[in-house]
Amino acid sequence: MPDLPELNPVVHGKLRLALLSLLSGVEEAEFTWLRGKTGSTDGNLGAQLLKLEEAGYVAVEKKFVQRKPQTLYRMTESGRAALTEYVQALKQLLGAAIDA
Amino acid sequence: MNPNAPEQNELRDRLDLIESMIAEGRRTTESWGWVFVLWGVAYYVAIAWAAWGHSALAWPVTMILAGVLTGILISITERRRPETTVGRAMAAIWIGMGISTFLVMIALGMTARLDAHNSVAIVAAMLGAANAASSIILRWKVQFACAVAWWAAGGIAAFASETVTGISFLVAIFLCQIVFGIYGMLAESRKRSSRLPSQGASHA
Repeated sequence: MPDLPELNPVVHGKLRLALLSLLSGVEEAEFTWLRGKTGSTDGNLGAQLLKLEEAGYVAVEKKFVQRKPQTLYRMTESGRAALTEYVQALKQLLGAAIDA
Repeated sequence: MNPNAPEQNELRDRLDLIESMIAEGRRTTESWGWVFVLWGVAYYVAIAWAAWGHSALAWPVTMILAGVLTGILISITERRRPETTVGRAMAAIWIGMGISTFLVMIALGMTARLDAHNSVAIVAAMLGAANAASSIILRWKVQFACAVAWWAAGGIAAFASETVTGISFLVAIFLCQIVFGIYGMLAESRKRSSRLPSQGASHA
């Protein structure tokens, strides 16, 4: 029986997975929009986005729009690849679980 | 089976979470209905000003003011929304169409080559093209019907009298700007109210 794939622990976190999935559908998104969509707290969201940023899965841009600070997050190519690999591994594991 | 592998239910939860979040991101559509209404009103103001005020400035001034007002309102209402490829495509079509029409009309006006027939034909053709492009990208048949209405108004302008041309232009503005804009706003409002609350993803 072939070895089952391991799930990427950075992507597997529930909030981090939600964030990557959200960012995969948009070009870039603001912190407040991500907070609204995930229902997360500022602290938790900031911590999970930092982990994704450290892994190189999201890129952050801080700027001022009409004198108000804006933090924008964008999924990187390696983030997209990691999410794709994660989904493939997930499907493989589910297939194996059904077969078992 | 790998004893350390996550449970099947947890895996299914993760797959559902991915699907729901991707769908949630895609649901983030910009609201554009009000822009159609605003520009419909702007066209009527310019027509009324040009007809009764007999001013050559009526169209350029009204169009510039409508453009500035649209820019300000979009920067306020859309500031918190994420940018999508479709949203940028829509903006590209309409900004490109607006600038092209404005420059052609100004040039024809300055060289005294602008009359009711060619001005309505140009504006209607440009609006027809922009509506058709948007409708094809958004797969929105109602907007394609607006494109057809604009093309019809453009065709009428080439063949009919000045009075009929004016009437067809007024009717096209009413149908494709005011009525379609209100329909768009109602559709956007329905879409917003039918959204399910965000699924639980608040824990790492």
